[in-house]
Amino acid sequence: MESQESLLKELSNHVVDMAEEEAVETAKRYIDGGFDAYEGIDQGLAVGMERAGQLYEEEEYYIPELLMCSDAMYAGMDILTPHLKADESKDRHKVVMGVVEGDTHDIGKNLVKIMLETAGFEVVDLGRDVPPEDFVSKAMEIGAEIIGLSTLMTTTMENMERVVQLLAEKGQSQIRVMVGGGPISSGFARKIGAHYSRNASRAVELAKSLVGEVIPC
Amino acid sequence: MLTDQMTPMERGKALAKGESVDRLPCNPNVANGVARIYGCKISEFNTSAKAIANAQIASYRRFGYDGVRVFTDLFPWAEAMGATVSFPDDNTADLAEPAVKEISEIYNLEPADPYKDGRLPVHIDAMKYLVDELGDEVGCAGGLVGPFSNAFFLFGIETFTKLIFKNPEAVHRACEVSLETCIRYAQAIIDQGLTPTISEPLSSCTVVSPKHFREFGAPYIKRLVAYINTHGKPVTMHICGKTDKIWEDIVDMGVAGFSVDNVVNLKQCKEQIGDRVKILGHVDPSAIIYAGPPAEVRRAVADCVQQAWDSPKGYVIMSGCSLPVETPSAHIDAMMNAAREIGYPVVPEKLDRMIAETPEASTQPEIITPTASGICTCPH
Repeated sequence: MESQESLLKELSNHVVDMAEEEAVETAKRYIDGGFDAYEGIDQGLAVGMERAGQLYEEEEYYIPELLMCSDAMYAGMDILTPHLKADESKDRHKVVMGVVEGDTHDIGKNLVKIMLETAGFEVVDLGRDVPPEDFVSKAMEIGAEIIGLSTLMTTTMENMERVVQLLAEKGQSQIRVMVGGGPISSGFARKIGAHYSRNASRAVELAKSLVGEVIPC
Repeated sequence: MLTDQMTPMERGKALAKGESVDRLPCNPNVANGVARIYGCKISEFNTSAKAIANAQIASYRRFGYDGVRVFTDLFPWAEAMGATVSFPDDNTADLAEPAVKEISEIYNLEPADPYKDGRLPVHIDAMKYLVDELGDEVGCAGGLVGPFSNAFFLFGIETFTKLIFKNPEAVHRACEVSLETCIRYAQAIIDQGLTPTISEPLSSCTVVSPKHFREFGAPYIKRLVAYINTHGKPVTMHICGKTDKIWEDIVDMGVAGFSVDNVVNLKQCKEQIGDRVKILGHVDPSAIIYAGPPAEVRRAVADCVQQAWDSPKGYVIMSGCSLPVETPSAHIDAMMNAAREIGYPVVPEKLDRMIAETPEASTQPEIITPTASGICTCPH
């Protein structure tokens, strides 16, 4: 019988190696072995995605590699998730994210979403071309602590500022706003009262710091 | 306001002969912002060749920069091959649906006919008007998206990205048919008497690895450059984002000029490849030229010139990428006036003074690193 430790290591490696089918196969063996599904995600697949993010930071991996890794991670999660115990999905920090109105480019946003979910956040993805009002109303509805805004187009940057303003108007300034995307700089983020992340893996560190570092899962 | 003593054409010819000029060439890369200067909607560029040409002409006359170009967005070639493009009323066109939904369809895909398909005939007509009006005065270019980036748009960026791993043969097939479209369009540009420029945003090291670029991108781009060169034209290429790891590959393609993004170290670029290609760049189009203020634009121009003015194969002051549509005219004037103030020959001490005169503290922007996505969507 294989040890949990070696299976976790295998899960992590399959994600880093972009091996979708192998991730599924190992995830099945992991469940068959009677091991905890949550730990399989948290200490196996998610660790692999974090390592992939690190390789991206080091310019060993690029966008195609990250997308392939995330496919392997999600394939493994599809096997493990049905075996999660019920109470493990609650009390996670919530994030509402999307691409701001006027822009439809979502690869960056999708990568940030993957990395945040990997790190244990619950992410509600509003998709592309999202009006400022929708971010705010959804965040209030679900009690999100963070709104994540992405854009690649300079023409839509004003809509990011609009989200921050709307939060203030509604007395919801405790909801923090994270921004990122090609034309965005930390200077711009400061100017509009938001927080800047320069790429997907940094976005996780930023999100953790914004919610006080403690990730309860 | 300072005035020019030479037309861009006179300036370019004199520089090529090693003669003295009034100032360095400067091209702010106004792109679809020309609609604001001319007073039309950007969507008019989708159907009216006159609007494209007249807006280019109006903006050139307004600012006096060194280069005009017919290039409205990244997608006319993919569109001409079957992709669906969305056309906002007054903003830049965007890819809505790729040309290919099933991989097998790639084998039915035909190269576009520049005189028949999509908006390409509109662009070709615009080139005629442009070169008729300005051909004696300023360099007129036809922009095109290179074969590798265009292949992404045939499949959709995310799908194509994964095919690099899952189906290299389909990627090569897409690049091949894409190249044929590019070659036909390049020939059409040359036939109208203009010079092709290539934009290859997805070749960036911010997107794909140098390894994949060398395998899937570079061979096709190189064939396009070779085609253009053998038909008597030099070619300038722009790649957004990080490129330092593929500089040698770019030189190897035979381009005459390389336009660098503002995330690149300009001085390092000059030192490494400036002996073999002309360097164009790289004032930050968003954090500096769009954001201003004019004094900061002036400082940034001086800073770029200081890094690259002595590049052996020549240097052109340029923005790092196309300007945002709503960039204030005063900021574009500031860029041109900085070039005029610097003058020629360049005096390094004068640049030092210009840089020192603007306090950096509040105005120096953070270095903008594109996010994970890193795909620049402006027309370059």
